[in-house]
Amino acid sequence: MKSSALLFGVIYEESMVQSMSTEKIMSILSSLTEGFGMNFLLFIVTLVVAIPLGLLISMGSMSKLNFRIHTLRIYPIRWIFRTFVWIIRGTPLMLQLFVVLYGPGLLFDMPMRSRETAAFVAFAVNYAAYFSEIFRGGIEGIPKGQYEAGQVLAMTKTQVFFKVVLFQVVKRIVPPMGNEIITLVKDTSLARVIGVVEILMSAERFTKQGLIWPLFSTGIYFLVFNGVLTVLLGRLEKKLDYYKG
Amino acid sequence: MAILNVNGIHKNFGKTQVLKGVDFSMEEGEVISIIGSSGSGKTTLLRCISFLETADKGTVVLDGQTVFDAAQPMKRNDKAQREIQAKFGFVFQSFNLFPQYTALENVMLAPKLLAKERPDFKENKKEIFEEIEKNAKDLMDRAGLSEKYNSYPCELSGGQQQRVAICRALALNPKIMLFDEPTSALDPEITNEVLKVIKSLADDGMTMIIVTHEMYFAKNISDRIIFMDGGVIAEEGTPRQIFENPQNPRTREFIASFASQRGDETSK
Repeated sequence: MKSSALLFGVIYEESMVQSMSTEKIMSILSSLTEGFGMNFLLFIVTLVVAIPLGLLISMGSMSKLNFRIHTLRIYPIRWIFRTFVWIIRGTPLMLQLFVVLYGPGLLFDMPMRSRETAAFVAFAVNYAAYFSEIFRGGIEGIPKGQYEAGQVLAMTKTQVFFKVVLFQVVKRIVPPMGNEIITLVKDTSLARVIGVVEILMSAERFTKQGLIWPLFSTGIYFLVFNGVLTVLLGRLEKKLDYYKG
Repeated sequence: MAILNVNGIHKNFGKTQVLKGVDFSMEEGEVISIIGSSGSGKTTLLRCISFLETADKGTVVLDGQTVFDAAQPMKRNDKAQREIQAKFGFVFQSFNLFPQYTALENVMLAPKLLAKERPDFKENKKEIFEEIEKNAKDLMDRAGLSEKYNSYPCELSGGQQQRVAICRALALNPKIMLFDEPTSALDPEITNEVLKVIKSLADDGMTMIIVTHEMYFAKNISDRIIFMDGGVIAEEGTPRQIFENPQNPRTREFIASFASQRGDETSK
C-alpha cells in the first residue's frame, strides 16, 4: 500500500497503513466507488437536463421581440433571460444549492423531497445558464451570410437552422463545452454541502478513523474520469475538423 | 412583356435614405449591369429585389405577378413565398458556401430539400435524387469544376468557390440571376475564371442583373447599364451610351475617374 500512502507526496506512518487488512481496504474503496456513483449520476443528470434547457435559455436571451417606449427600446424576453443568467452566473453554486434545498420549504411550505433532487435541480439550472452563453456565442458567431444563402435558396428558417447552422454551431462550441463539462465533473463534489453523499463525503468519514488516504484517493477518481472525457472530447473535435471555417 | 418591373423602391436604414425611388424594368434574356460608387445603393437595390432586405416602399413584379409589395406584409416561410424566392438566383460577394458540405452537396442541398415537398417524392425518391445529382454535376462541369465535386469549400480557391456558388444558385432553375459584386472578393488574376462563367450564362440567354466594379466586363457583357448615384438611377442606357457619351455630369465624373485610374495602372 506504499503507493497510496505516498499519494500526493504525503507520507504516513507505515505502521498505520500496514496494519490495514486487504478486506478493510476493499471496503473503503467500494464505499468510495459508491460515492463516486452519486457524482456520476449528478454529472449525467445535469448534462441531460442542462443542454436542452441551456438551448432554450440561449434562444430567450437572443429574442428579438421588442417594443418602444418613447426613445427606449424594450426587449422584455431577452432582458428577463439575461437577468436570470446574470443571477445564476453571478452567485455561488454553493448558495444556489442551499436556496434550492431550503427555499421551497421556507417560502412555499413545499419542502424538497430529497437532498439529491435539490442537487439535480441546482446543478441543472446553474449549468444551463453557463451552457446558454456558450450556445449564444456559437449561434451569434455564425456569419449572417449563411442565413442569407439559405434564404435565397428558398429554404425555410427551420431548414436553415438544422441543415446549415446547427452543425457549424456544434463545431464551434465543442472546445468551450468541453471545458465546462470537465469543470462539472469536479463541481459535483459541491453537493456534499447539502448533505448529498458523494465521494468526498464518503471519504471524509474515514478521517475520523485516522485515515487520510481515502480522502486523497478521491482525486484519482476525478483524474481518471476527466482523462476519459478529455480523450473523448478530443476525438469529437478531431472528427468535426474535416473542414475549416 | 417585361419579365421584371421594379417600381418606386425606397429603403431607409435608420435615418439614412439608401434608395430614394428606383424604377426600372427588364426583358427576358436581358443582361443589366448596375454600376456606381460605393454607397450609391446598388447592392441594397439588388437585395431588395431578392427579399434579403424589405423595401419600405415600392413593388416588384416578376413575369406579371406582383412578388413584392411594401404595403403588404411578407411571410418569409410561406410556401408560395419560397417558390417566388427560388425564381431569383443570388450570388454573393463573399460566396457564402456552406463549409460543412462538399461542393456537390452545396449545389444539391436546396433542390433536395425542395424535392421533399413534391407529392410524388416518396415513390420516386431515388429517381428524383439521381436527377438532382446529374443536374448538379452538369452545372459544375460547365463551370469547369468536374474535378471538384468532393472538395470542401475550404479546399477551393476563391474563384472556384464563387463558381460553386453560381452553380448552387442555378440548381434551382431561377428565372433571373442576381450577382452582387461577384468578383470583388477575388484576386485580380482569378476574376476572369468567374467572369467567363457569367459570360457563358449570358450567351445561353439567362436574364441577369450584375452589380459590379468590373467596368470592362460590364461594358462587354451588358445589354444595358444602369448608373446609380445617391439612391436613384442617375442614368441608364446601352454600354456605348454610358461609357462613350454619358449625359449626366455624375456619370461623366464616375466614368472619367475610372478611366484615369486605369491609366495610372497601365503607366506603372
